[in-house]
Amino acid sequence: MGLAPYLIISMILFILGIVVMMARKNIIAILLGIELILNASALNFVAYSRFLTNNIDGHIFSLFIIVVAAAEAAVGLAIVIRFFQVRKSIHIDEAVWLNDEV
Amino acid sequence: MTTTLIANLSRYVPELIAVVTMIGALFLEAAVGKFDKAKDYIFSAAGIGLILCLISLSKNMSLSATPIFTGAVIIDPFSTMVKIIMVLGVLGSLYVAFVSKDIAENHKSEFVILAMGVLVGGMLLASANNFLTVYLGIETLSILSYVLAALKRNDGKSTEAGIKYALYGGITSGVMLFGMAHLYGILGTIHFSEVLESLSTLDQTKMLILLPSFVLVFVGLGYKIACVPFHMWSPDVYEGSPIPVTTFFAIVPKIAGIAVIVRITHIFFDKSGVLQDSWVGFLQVVAILTITLGNILAIGQKSVKRMLAYSSISHAGFMLIGVLVIDQIGISAICFYGVIYLFMTLGAFGITSFLGDQFNSDRFGIFDGLIKSHPFMSIAMIIIMFSLGGIPPFGGFIAKYNILSASLHKGFYTLAIIAALNSVISLYYYLRIVQSMVFKDATYEENIKGFTFINQLVMLGICFPILFLGFFWEKIMITATNAHLLVK
Repeated sequence: MGLAPYLIISMILFILGIVVMMARKNIIAILLGIELILNASALNFVAYSRFLTNNIDGHIFSLFIIVVAAAEAAVGLAIVIRFFQVRKSIHIDEAVWLNDEV
Repeated sequence: MTTTLIANLSRYVPELIAVVTMIGALFLEAAVGKFDKAKDYIFSAAGIGLILCLISLSKNMSLSATPIFTGAVIIDPFSTMVKIIMVLGVLGSLYVAFVSKDIAENHKSEFVILAMGVLVGGMLLASANNFLTVYLGIETLSILSYVLAALKRNDGKSTEAGIKYALYGGITSGVMLFGMAHLYGILGTIHFSEVLESLSTLDQTKMLILLPSFVLVFVGLGYKIACVPFHMWSPDVYEGSPIPVTTFFAIVPKIAGIAVIVRITHIFFDKSGVLQDSWVGFLQVVAILTITLGNILAIGQKSVKRMLAYSSISHAGFMLIGVLVIDQIGISAICFYGVIYLFMTLGAFGITSFLGDQFNSDRFGIFDGLIKSHPFMSIAMIIIMFSLGGIPPFGGFIAKYNILSASLHKGFYTLAIIAALNSVISLYYYLRIVQSMVFKDATYEENIKGFTFINQLVMLGICFPILFLGFFWEKIMITATNAHLLVK
């Protein structure tokens, strides 16, 4: 197997992530979409590192991505919990208190 | 090995001081958090840490540029200048937080800890020299900012601001990473110092993938400085967050984002060619859209915070003009603009914060008839508004003049004309505040508690540089001109 299948899979993951973020109305699901995008880029880094560039920068980068994604998910979920306790909903359409008044 | 590590760390003293201050504030909060005077201790400890940081930064200013930590981080005069602006911004927003009533008393120490953390991320971003440090800097900056936005944890608007910031931030940093992955695949390296040599050996087909990847990377960076079309989060987050946090957001992440865009533009697009032309064209479109949309959307706002958010978007557009000239005069114009922008933003948000605490509102109505009851603060606000709009004797005019002269120097005439016209549009909404202060009658009788003697003195101290730099700007301009960027 060469580089191409990895790139195709990561592209599919990336597009799925974008679609999830646009189509789902649940904030938790949107956070999952972000995770998909992050994993797509981590896969890209590892694939390029293995097949093209002959150095381990990509491997290191993907490890950092995993760590930072965990931190981001933790903070994101904590804020979602606050939002739920204050507003009694995790539906993104509820988040309309802040907008341009015309 | 140990000696090189110590030599590297000796260049990294300002960041280390910031980290130690953050951890110190964390432990101090855990140790004395229950006492009455805990807030005073933590704020003064953070203030001392920041002043030490400023002193060590000003010592770094004269050093020549050196890459440290095997080239992951670079300490050059430009990054030091940007860090000085950021530290001053944190210092100012800490003062606003100290006196503001918008954050509950027992949450104020959390503001100190998180703000110091964001500062560390911003400093890493300003001196990032490979894609990994850019990514880590942006994430350190963003993840702590999400928490800051949701600092009023029982307030519906504040938690909504946190949610919006976290979702936008997660999406854009994911897209940016995707772009970085492709750049890594094409160039074969994540180090900026090795990029130039691999750029020169690229063939035509790989060049074609390079520019879309850069646009993807720009999504993440453009989101941090809130330029159009990634600006939608900015007014909502600015309105929902407590005012000290808004002050902080308007300065630190914006300046750090501009710094990293400057570095990437100067490293990757230094050589003239197809790549440089298309990137400059792209930045031109973004800058024009950012300035114009920011100004036009600011006109109809009813909330002062939202108006200032849109105005900060258009100021980011002005700074982007300084980026796209790809020249040292552009960099010095940006540094000067950053200094003036810092003082103007601190002043505008500071006075809005004092008034907002009194009336529990951020509408334009809070300024009604202020000149009769508090002439000194009104004159300070008028100076700040004229300066934001770019009226000649004040610092804001000189800052805009430098940016426009840099762009004219490189022959971007249309860009300069559009920017100058926008400066006229912006006067409309800045002068609405002046009109409301001078020509309207006050709807209230009471004295404004926020305008204590010390607060008025601090506001005077913030207005002084705006006035002073309007007349005597050569001194700071020389410092800004010396703020070279190291391009290998």
